[in-house]
Amino acid sequence: MELAAALIVLGHVCGVVVLGWLYFRRYQVARPPIGIFNLADVAIVLCGVVVVPVAYLTLPLWLVGGLLAIGALGALSAVLEPIVRSRGARWATLCAVAVTELWLAAGDAAAGSPLPTINNVVVGLVALGIANLWAQSGLRARDAALLGAALAVYDVVATSWLPLMGDLFSRVAALPFAPLVSWPISDDAAVGIGLGDLLVATLFPLVMRKAYGRAAGLTALGLGIGGIVVAFLVTGWAALAIFPVMVVLGPLMVVQYGIWGWQRGPERTTWHYLQDEPLEARPVRPACAL
Amino acid sequence: MLTDLFAQLRFTVSLLFGVPFDVRSLEHLADSLRLTRIERGAIDAEAAELLAGPALDGATRQAVQLRRFRTQAGRAARETAYYGRLFDQLGLDPARLRHEEIARVPTTSKLAVRADPDAFVRRTARPSFRTVTTGTTGTPTAICFSHDEMRAYAALSAISLLSQGLVGPDDVVQISTSARATLGNTCFAGACTLAGALVHQAGLVSAVQTLGLLTERRSIAGKRDRVSVLLTYPSHLGDVVEQGLRGGLGPADFGVERIFVGGELVTAGLKARARHLFGEVRFVEGYAMTETWPLGGALCPDGHLHFETSQALIEVLDPETGTSALPGCPGTVVVTPFPPYRQTTILLRYDTRDVVRVLPAPPVCALRHLPATGHLQGKLDLAVRHDEGWTFPRDVLEALEALDEVPLPARCGFWAVPGGVSVEVVTRQGDDPPVRRAVERALGERGIPVRSLRLLDDAAELRSPLPLRGDLREATFRGPNGRPSHEPSGLSDANRPLLAAWR
Repeated sequence: MELAAALIVLGHVCGVVVLGWLYFRRYQVARPPIGIFNLADVAIVLCGVVVVPVAYLTLPLWLVGGLLAIGALGALSAVLEPIVRSRGARWATLCAVAVTELWLAAGDAAAGSPLPTINNVVVGLVALGIANLWAQSGLRARDAALLGAALAVYDVVATSWLPLMGDLFSRVAALPFAPLVSWPISDDAAVGIGLGDLLVATLFPLVMRKAYGRAAGLTALGLGIGGIVVAFLVTGWAALAIFPVMVVLGPLMVVQYGIWGWQRGPERTTWHYLQDEPLEARPVRPACAL
Repeated sequence: MLTDLFAQLRFTVSLLFGVPFDVRSLEHLADSLRLTRIERGAIDAEAAELLAGPALDGATRQAVQLRRFRTQAGRAARETAYYGRLFDQLGLDPARLRHEEIARVPTTSKLAVRADPDAFVRRTARPSFRTVTTGTTGTPTAICFSHDEMRAYAALSAISLLSQGLVGPDDVVQISTSARATLGNTCFAGACTLAGALVHQAGLVSAVQTLGLLTERRSIAGKRDRVSVLLTYPSHLGDVVEQGLRGGLGPADFGVERIFVGGELVTAGLKARARHLFGEVRFVEGYAMTETWPLGGALCPDGHLHFETSQALIEVLDPETGTSALPGCPGTVVVTPFPPYRQTTILLRYDTRDVVRVLPAPPVCALRHLPATGHLQGKLDLAVRHDEGWTFPRDVLEALEALDEVPLPARCGFWAVPGGVSVEVVTRQGDDPPVRRAVERALGERGIPVRSLRLLDDAAELRSPLPLRGDLREATFRGPNGRPSHEPSGLSDANRPLLAAWR
């Protein structure tokens, strides 16, 4: 049961990472016209990573649920915008997702509920959307590696030394738009991975591809998934309740950046990346002959 | 990216409410645009729209401008000697001025500013930069600015240059204007520096030296191999074009892509002939002057001069009646620069003496949301009133510079005579019959009632020549033989005989 749940979660992870890769090559997320995602933004994200879990443990549940919903729907909107051109259709989709999540979360959370499936898809798309937004906004591989390194340190403290992450996941797991991809193994236990870990695993292959090319991106993709598999294996083998995944992913990111940077020299800018590897043109639907 | 939001918000607050600019926010925005340009290769059009602020309808625009005028007038009355006396005499409360009462405030003349420029400086201001105009139309005028104003102008210009794709980090910029044009040079050089470009101030040297610098090849990593952006006066550009074409230079000798040209009238003939020398370059024209800085008029493809509402109140007054000029009629541009753009030296209803025509109908061009006038016609003091109306410098210069028979820059003069206008012009062949016919036809097509025409082959014989900024020469050291000791290093060996011919 536990193995099956782990495989399902890993399947979701692989799906999100690969879909994120494909999305990156096919669609352009609507991003702010001014500014690039730089080290200052990474610092702001790290501040958020530290502050938000504490806030989520302190604020009333209804407020936490509301904030999760707003964040998730915003990210979903960014993901859908280049795919679903009709604003009405996008709004309808977002409303349907919101209603479904709220309805399922308010209902019986017993085994067999479709909430985990729905939520896993939504969280996967949120991770895909944020990863593409950051990567397409010019996040450099160096800054992503620094983010990974900082998150690795934070994850050790917040997950292994402090009960912060465990308490957070316990508190939000039953909420709509819960920030984790999970699969139940019993009524009160599940196997899962947090949105943050999934986001980093999806993000890094994109920035490495932009910076150093397809080979570097695919290497990052494979090592990211492999790192998560290792984390799951260690968790299972050591019978841990929770494991700081970033402890595996963070150093992997730093090492990859170091090796590719040493081999290939300075990173490419977005412009140079698109010059070298133009995006795939979206197919034009042929006119119907009547 | 996230920090840019705060900078954008702060900038918007200044635009909307007239709050003084936060210079660091402006510089941060300029830097973000520069980094965006480097990362993505270009700035999206949305960036320019975002920074321009919302388009205002007529009523809102009038309300905003009235509020800003009151603020500026209140400061002027309280803190400047000139306007303090003026408002005492008028018995007007500037804080309660209604829109229709603005016309009761007399226009401020160039003479008044020239006579006592310090009387327009706010007592509470901290001026640190005093600039003097080049005085091509008379005695120079002096205007003071603060350190923050100068930094803001450079940042605002950089934001404009980057968001319109006019200057970028890989550009090499040459400023070929008078070294005395300190305000324009400082702001443009500062803006280009913020945009990441390499800037050099060449000064107003000989056309040969300018050509030498333009053709000089460089090998600086990340920069173009030759000058890609040129800032100069139309008259100096004309001189450069004339010398360059005569010397057999062509587009292959240059890397110039964009030419910022202003300070004088820019004619279609000049631009056409410049393209023969430089190839398909983009001309960037606008309207600006020291006294009303940083107000800038933007020229649209339809030939309208558009002005940003938040920068100043623009009026066009009939030079004869002093009231608002009628649609289609000429008038002088009267400007009141607003806060937060002008903090140190205040001018209310400053009569620039620059002539434009009021548009006969509201514009329908891409910039229709901005108030507009027709294109600049020249200085009123250089225009001629005759029985058939007006002849402005633009009328004459457009006619003459379109002719290949007239060397650039067109050296000419014109004045009123009974029944029309007398014109004199320097041509290549002097008073040659075919040339005379061509000049007469060109002037006639512009509706100029020519009663007398003098064609000359020597500019020294002109009786009343139009002043040209290109004649504001920088001095240079002279060698033992009394000739200029500097030889441009940019011209190739193939062109060296050319230099000997010009000496």
